[in-house]
Amino acid sequence: MSTVFETLSELSHKLASREVSAVELVTAALARADATQSTLHAFAGLRPDRARAEAAQADARRRRGEPRSPFDGVPIAIKDNMVQTGEPTTCASRILEGFVSPYTATAVARLEQAGAVVIGRTNMDEFAMGSSTEHSRSGPTRNPWRLANTPGGSSGGSAAAVAAGIVPAALGSDTGGSIRQPASFCGVVGFKPTYGRVSRWGLVAFASSLDQIGVFTRSARDAAGLLELISGHDPFDSTSIPEPAPELRPALDGDVSGLVVGLPKECFVPAGVDPGVLAAVRDAVAELERAGAKVREISLPHTRYAIATYYLIATAEASSNLARYDGVRYGRRARGARSLTEMYERTRSEGFGEEVKRRILLGTYVLSAGYYDAYYRKAQQVRTLLRGDFERAFGACDVIVTPTSPEVAFELGAKTSDPLAMYLSDIYTVSANLAGIPGVSIPCGMLRGLPVGLQLLGPALGEAVLLRVADAFERRTPHHARRPESSP
Amino acid sequence: MSGGAHPRFEVVIGLEVHTQLRTESKLFSPAPVSFGRPPNHSVHPICLALPGVLPVLNARAVEFAIRTALATHCSVHPRSIFARKNYFYPDLPKGYQISQYEDPIATGGWLEVAGLDGPDAPVRRVGLTRIHMEEDAGKSIHDAAVIGSDVTHIDLNRAGIPLLEIVSEPDLRSPAEAAAYLRTLRQILRYIDVSDADMEKGHFRCDANVSLRRPGETALGTRTELKNLNSFRHVEMALEAEIERQAEVLERGGRIQQATMAFDPATRRTRVLRLKENADDYRYFPDPDLIPLQLSEEQIERVRASLPELAEQKCARFQREHGLSAYDAQQLTGSRPLADFFEKAAAAYGNPKAVANWMLRDLRETLTALELEIEASRITPQILAALMTLVDAGATTARSARELLPVLVREGGDPAALVRERGLEAVSDTGVIEAAVAAVIAENAENAERYRNGEEKVLNFLMGQVMRRTGGKASPAAVRELLARKLAGKAS
Repeated sequence: MSTVFETLSELSHKLASREVSAVELVTAALARADATQSTLHAFAGLRPDRARAEAAQADARRRRGEPRSPFDGVPIAIKDNMVQTGEPTTCASRILEGFVSPYTATAVARLEQAGAVVIGRTNMDEFAMGSSTEHSRSGPTRNPWRLANTPGGSSGGSAAAVAAGIVPAALGSDTGGSIRQPASFCGVVGFKPTYGRVSRWGLVAFASSLDQIGVFTRSARDAAGLLELISGHDPFDSTSIPEPAPELRPALDGDVSGLVVGLPKECFVPAGVDPGVLAAVRDAVAELERAGAKVREISLPHTRYAIATYYLIATAEASSNLARYDGVRYGRRARGARSLTEMYERTRSEGFGEEVKRRILLGTYVLSAGYYDAYYRKAQQVRTLLRGDFERAFGACDVIVTPTSPEVAFELGAKTSDPLAMYLSDIYTVSANLAGIPGVSIPCGMLRGLPVGLQLLGPALGEAVLLRVADAFERRTPHHARRPESSP
Repeated sequence: MSGGAHPRFEVVIGLEVHTQLRTESKLFSPAPVSFGRPPNHSVHPICLALPGVLPVLNARAVEFAIRTALATHCSVHPRSIFARKNYFYPDLPKGYQISQYEDPIATGGWLEVAGLDGPDAPVRRVGLTRIHMEEDAGKSIHDAAVIGSDVTHIDLNRAGIPLLEIVSEPDLRSPAEAAAYLRTLRQILRYIDVSDADMEKGHFRCDANVSLRRPGETALGTRTELKNLNSFRHVEMALEAEIERQAEVLERGGRIQQATMAFDPATRRTRVLRLKENADDYRYFPDPDLIPLQLSEEQIERVRASLPELAEQKCARFQREHGLSAYDAQQLTGSRPLADFFEKAAAAYGNPKAVANWMLRDLRETLTALELEIEASRITPQILAALMTLVDAGATTARSARELLPVLVREGGDPAALVRERGLEAVSDTGVIEAAVAAVIAENAENAERYRNGEEKVLNFLMGQVMRRTGGKASPAAVRELLARKLAGKAS
């Protein structure tokens, strides 16, 4: 029997009842990853032998009656910017060619401790910089719903792998929308927790104050289960919230009556957004109202500065975070350089792609003496105002609803020559990263054969309320259960 | 005028000291701070700046920074920020150094520098601008002879070791004053046990800013910065050379260019390393991987309560409680181990002044001869007190006791047992002493006669002869008495 497209929860039950073994699940996932690689290109690398061996150990634990968790033996994928002992991590960049990590990221380690089996690393935009998974040294990932289109990005490989039924869940990272936008484009659940909820230890940094690990799943319940596993304080990350992992599954009772849904008026203006997307989002809001939620217009007045603020802060931090890739200690080093400066210049010129170079240059400029006050400091001040917008808004509502993206998945190559157009793809998502609040994208309809995503934003540490709404919406609508027909 | 001041210009010096904190692990990594390990054997993924690592602040280093700030009368700030100082260098693994920039942990203190113009001169208060925490870089090893090729090797054992940067106000007025400031600062750092502050080992490094101005001018002249001065002597020599160079330029009517200078001890000259016009832009910004360092009033007060007594307080107390002279008290509080030794020995022996005399003369001479610090020697306060008690009891003589000091300093041991083993008991056998006295009088008939004729000081000479003849072991009191009696003609 095929377990493709089943949820984590379903697989967990089947494993518990011995209907299926971990080896069978992992073998099937590896086979599907292989079979789809030439069309989808969701993976940067697979670890078939180790994954099968780990699955066999998971089966042995189940036979002994000692499973590590309900997820012991389920196959899972991680984005290629999370390190795992003995495995390469490339961030889809030439500059990390040959790097093999001697340590494991906290989030990945917590999955391993629960017995989940990492089958491989998913493709991404280089160093998570991009919204289409086209900026990858190994080539773009394609959208399982339409192979000519992008899966979104930067966690496009993870989104595509879950949407195409290769794995029931995958980890991604979200700096400005890199989980939610691809989840929207691929018709899956993509959850970005509160900044600091999941440890960043072992997540290769793009923009430290914005980066957050999150999950791709096929249901809100699965997202809740995985988040419970990977969340919680980590002494190795000073920015991690000093709270234990929250209990999230008790919130999934389908009840949203009396809950107040805020609609920011700034996000529902027709300019720059596909009217079909807005219509699908309005339908979703109406459905929540029918479920007993109250709808209220709110205002996030500084939203229009969000993209500019984001690209100042994110590039500034990136320019410093990526300085370590210098050819001295690991990864790629240009051959034959005659001086230190030449070695640096050639290593970084050859090693980084165009988009990464563009952002390093922007960020270096933003932090330069004489420009710091006008750009970086000013951006931090606007960031404070944006946070204030959300604090006020959550005084008046429980969750905020917006489209995840102004459009459905665009065609490959449509924006690669226009960086600014690509940046505007993040217009609804970057605010959550700037404010540090949790957000989730869930499927809410189809437009011209492609999924539309609904974004729910919650107050800091408000993961439970987001999952409650997402789960209630799933119970009342068929959107999350649709499967891509063109999927191989 | 203090040494090294310039006759025609007022010298203005400010110092930046980097001192290594004696923590067990690094500032942001669990890698141990250790010496003599093979290259790159005291490292952790954090020190290597592997992809995905994050810094975790060492709480002990923070405590040491607070201690230093309190001991130098600085204000410790309830909130301070770690910033990234961005530059590329092969021994800087992250491509940035984590330091503090806009909001350091402490600002606005001072320390008192004593004895600049002789022992009776008033203490001078030298202002501290700021104290901040930062991490050290690794080492680039270029020496072809060491590695047998022209390849540069990188050793990251030092990368990430905690440093305090302590910046003085431009309050120093001569090279000698700068050196005195550094000695005082080092003494404080050692007293409060935060740093070994060993300049030769690179635990205590100094950069000096120096400028000149005409007496009476209030504006500061253009300054130059002397980098990497690695001994007190180099600091003084480099400042003297740079002051001389600047004075020559100014007297020719020239202009000082703001520059970073290096000092060459061989030629005793300074030279321009680089002009400030091409100064690097370090693109400082708050490190987003670290949250602001928040310190509560209670935390700061807890550290204050744990501060040991500092040298100046100890010096005053030694005069007050132990009746020592100001000079002796200052000498004995020069280092904490010395002061602690004194207090323990004084308690064990009972007469502080006598202990001070022994320590500052005989023990100090012995330590100097053996090139040892008191903390590295095997003699304990109890051993010294026991030795002094043996002399008092007449069991041995002061001269024999002094002879035992080198062995006690090197090996320790029981003074009474050593006196027995080496036959250094005071000779109280009157027969032996009488024979020696008779022989000395017979050999020195002329001097004996002078004594009898009223030249009393001759007695000391004769006593010395008797002591020599008895190998210094005769009890001086017994010798004096017998000698006087015999010379008076009352030989028995």
